[in-house]
Amino acid sequence: MTRAAPWLAAAAAMIAVAFLLKDFGYYSDQYRKLMLWVALALGFNFLFGIAGQVAFSHFAFYGIGAYAVVILTFKAGLPLGAAVVLGLALCAVLAIAVGIAATRLEGFYLALATMAFAQLFLVVLTEGGVVTGGAGGIANYRLPALEVGGRRFTLTGPYYTSLIALVLLATFFVFWRLDRSYFGRACRAIRDNPEAAAAMGVDVARTKIVVFTVTSVLAGAAGMAYAFVDNIVNPPVFGLENVFLLLFMVIIGGSGRHAGAVVGAILLYMLPYVLTPLIGHHQALVFGIVMVAAMLFRPDGLVGAYDRLRARYGRGAA
Amino acid sequence: MSDILELLVSAASSGCIYGLVALSYLVMIRPTGIINFAVGEWAAVGLFAAFFLLTNRWLPLPYALALIAAVAFTGLIGWGTQRIAVRPLVEKGAPILGPILALLGMLAIFRESISLIFGPDPHNLPAPFGLRQVSLGPFAGTPRDFFIIGCTAAVFVGVWLFFERTVWGKAFEAVALNRKAAALMGINLRRVTVAAFVGGAAIAGFAGVLYSLTAPRDFLMGLPLAVQGFSALVVGGVGRVEGAILGGMILALAEQLTARYADQIGIPSGMSLGVPFLLMIVFLLARPTGLLRPKEAAA
Repeated sequence: MTRAAPWLAAAAAMIAVAFLLKDFGYYSDQYRKLMLWVALALGFNFLFGIAGQVAFSHFAFYGIGAYAVVILTFKAGLPLGAAVVLGLALCAVLAIAVGIAATRLEGFYLALATMAFAQLFLVVLTEGGVVTGGAGGIANYRLPALEVGGRRFTLTGPYYTSLIALVLLATFFVFWRLDRSYFGRACRAIRDNPEAAAAMGVDVARTKIVVFTVTSVLAGAAGMAYAFVDNIVNPPVFGLENVFLLLFMVIIGGSGRHAGAVVGAILLYMLPYVLTPLIGHHQALVFGIVMVAAMLFRPDGLVGAYDRLRARYGRGAA
Repeated sequence: MSDILELLVSAASSGCIYGLVALSYLVMIRPTGIINFAVGEWAAVGLFAAFFLLTNRWLPLPYALALIAAVAFTGLIGWGTQRIAVRPLVEKGAPILGPILALLGMLAIFRESISLIFGPDPHNLPAPFGLRQVSLGPFAGTPRDFFIIGCTAAVFVGVWLFFERTVWGKAFEAVALNRKAAALMGINLRRVTVAAFVGGAAIAGFAGVLYSLTAPRDFLMGLPLAVQGFSALVVGGVGRVEGAILGGMILALAEQLTARYADQIGIPSGMSLGVPFLLMIVFLLARPTGLLRPKEAAA
């Protein structure tokens, strides 16, 4: 790769931040969660913004990844590596099943079916008895030590944060490459006009299933990383509320744009820090207002607004 | 035997509430194609408005008047909602997903506003009839159950008559069948949209008032109710008024049967919470038109 430099620089910067924050437990924790949100937003943006599928199952797959790695490692006693591989395979199988079923559904009906799937997942978690730990979830586990070449070591503190940074960058890389390939263009074509895309030789059903599977599996991978952030998994995290938040992030940032997902995720994740002193825990009120305003006045989001400004005043005017 | 009859009465009363929420969706989807998830929040608005009107210190209204005023207020909220989040987008020619997503934003606004005004605690309306048991022939239940069933029946008969017997109802149908042709025939699309949202909101507000008679509800009640109502709509079919109540009944019965008998066959009874989702998935995939198909246009 000749253009590896920006990626390496980004990785170095993100890892540097991880080490800078290592003595500030709270900020380090927030940094990890922010990166996971950005990873989720990138995936949701690809699914919703680029491929045009309104699917509310993104957090369910995040949860399936998290629960799968915890259950397989600590209830079934598998080594961590095997649990990760099996968990991702589980995400893939479920995503393919949902994806195949979903090709029969158009537009918002897909949203409803995936929402029903996500809610069903929550009910199963809550009623899963000893396997899922019920409403309280599973807690009191720690990331097991890894064994490489006979040496055992545990990823803790900034090292684990760095791992999350790498997960995020890998996610970004996958979506960035996909977007710039035939596949990404096929996705956009299907979003804008499925009949025309089919007429141009795009396999609409297969593209839809693949896109759903790839985004869902990467959400599952992020979920696995999340499982060892708080060292607890419980149902409420994976509920519908967070999917709405994800949707707001992508739309407010600018749907269909990677930068939009990143900006939206960072903005809505940080906004509560500014808002809580002003209006307490009602930040969702502001999110709702901004969301409606975005739909009415700026459907291309903040990134689109930035582009316009630059086109008007900046050197970028071409 | 009396056990199952009692279950039937209580299933019928919660089925009525699901049916009303489904009807609220239907009234809006038919002419506009917009699936409005804020109906649950409208139900909460109706409930909290009724609560405020009944219990405020300054001017507590009598029961019947408070209910009517709360429903009217929710209708007004419905008008405001469509004015803010629907009409501008429709007139800009945005794809149908636009208003649907904007309404999700409205959902967050309503919910947080209610929690700002009324706090996070559950509220319930003062019980109008007490809690004694009454029997109607072989059916035993609380007066509240029979009140809910009676009110719902009245609403459904009213809406059915509206669609079948009035010019306005015909206009709704015409817009549902062919938007462009209806507009060319002189039907005012904007007015039909307004009527759909005001009517839908009023129905949802009424459902919320009835819903709070069964248990205390907090500001988070909206979304679960909206999901159950939509599930009822999917089961019954989006095309017909009767489908909404049929779907509501089937959903409530399935829920209550699971809640009561599932643990006897080894399924935790909490799984009854999953019934609406399971039904929704099965129907969306296997029979997306629901049980009742829409009437064909008379050629």
